[in-house]
Amino acid sequence: MFTCKQVSKALHKEDYAEMSTLRRCFLKLHVHLCVFCGKFNTQVIDSQDMCRCYKDKEAHDAVERPKLNPSQKEALKELISEQAE
Amino acid sequence: MPEKKYSGAKVPITPPEQWVEQYGDYLYGFAMSRLRNPESAQDCVQDTLLAGIKALDRFDGSRDIKFWLRGIMRNKIVDQIRRSIKENKVDIEAEDEALLESFWFKYSGIATTNPDPWQFNPRKYYDNTEFWKVFETCIDEVKEPARQAFILRVLEDQTTDEVCKVLDITPNYLWVLLHRARQQLKVSLEARWKDSI
Repeated sequence: MFTCKQVSKALHKEDYAEMSTLRRCFLKLHVHLCVFCGKFNTQVIDSQDMCRCYKDKEAHDAVERPKLNPSQKEALKELISEQAE
Repeated sequence: MPEKKYSGAKVPITPPEQWVEQYGDYLYGFAMSRLRNPESAQDCVQDTLLAGIKALDRFDGSRDIKFWLRGIMRNKIVDQIRRSIKENKVDIEAEDEALLESFWFKYSGIATTNPDPWQFNPRKYYDNTEFWKVFETCIDEVKEPARQAFILRVLEDQTTDEVCKVLDITPNYLWVLLHRARQQLKVSLEARWKDSI
């Protein structure tokens, strides 16, 4: 079983979703039951979930973002065609 | 222009001449969300595309070239942040130092046993595009250097060691910065999202 410090350190070092199933289960069990670090680390886990979801959305263009203006595009195109030759 | 097959690639890929039109906005949007500065973002797109042309022979075609270019851009973003850190070195604040020295942190590796609960359940809004727009605005509001630490560690998936090296800080201080970033993000999201629902 993990100690609070080990749980906090593990969550600091890596995303809990990328841990092995067994490690993830023990960690979540600790966070679920612990009166000391439970609330805090639940929020860390929630934040990791939220950021993972955000990264997934942005990778698939689901987040509205600023775009290059036409003059920026032209300048880049010119540069690329020079380099690509 | 027809798609060519470059040496090293298993599948036909978009020729570089079309990259700006096809991926320019996507890459620029990414760079803007990380760097907040239009000039740095444009430089970042330019460096990414040029690096992409140079490395095209090594592209194996196993994924969409858009994501391959995005992978190259990750290094360019780290480089930009490294440059800005050289100009403004990260200093540890007294409040953060006190947190690192506190009994609770040393004993359990956490800041407090009783953080304020969320005022709404963010999971409910994960499919709402508007929510992620607000989320991005809130990331922009996080103060430096916590924002840079959050971007490198959480959004750009750099390891703890890599981020500590870029920001020239200890792993413990990185923990504090990420904690501050999460706190500020939560406070901003609660304030802004509550207003928009």
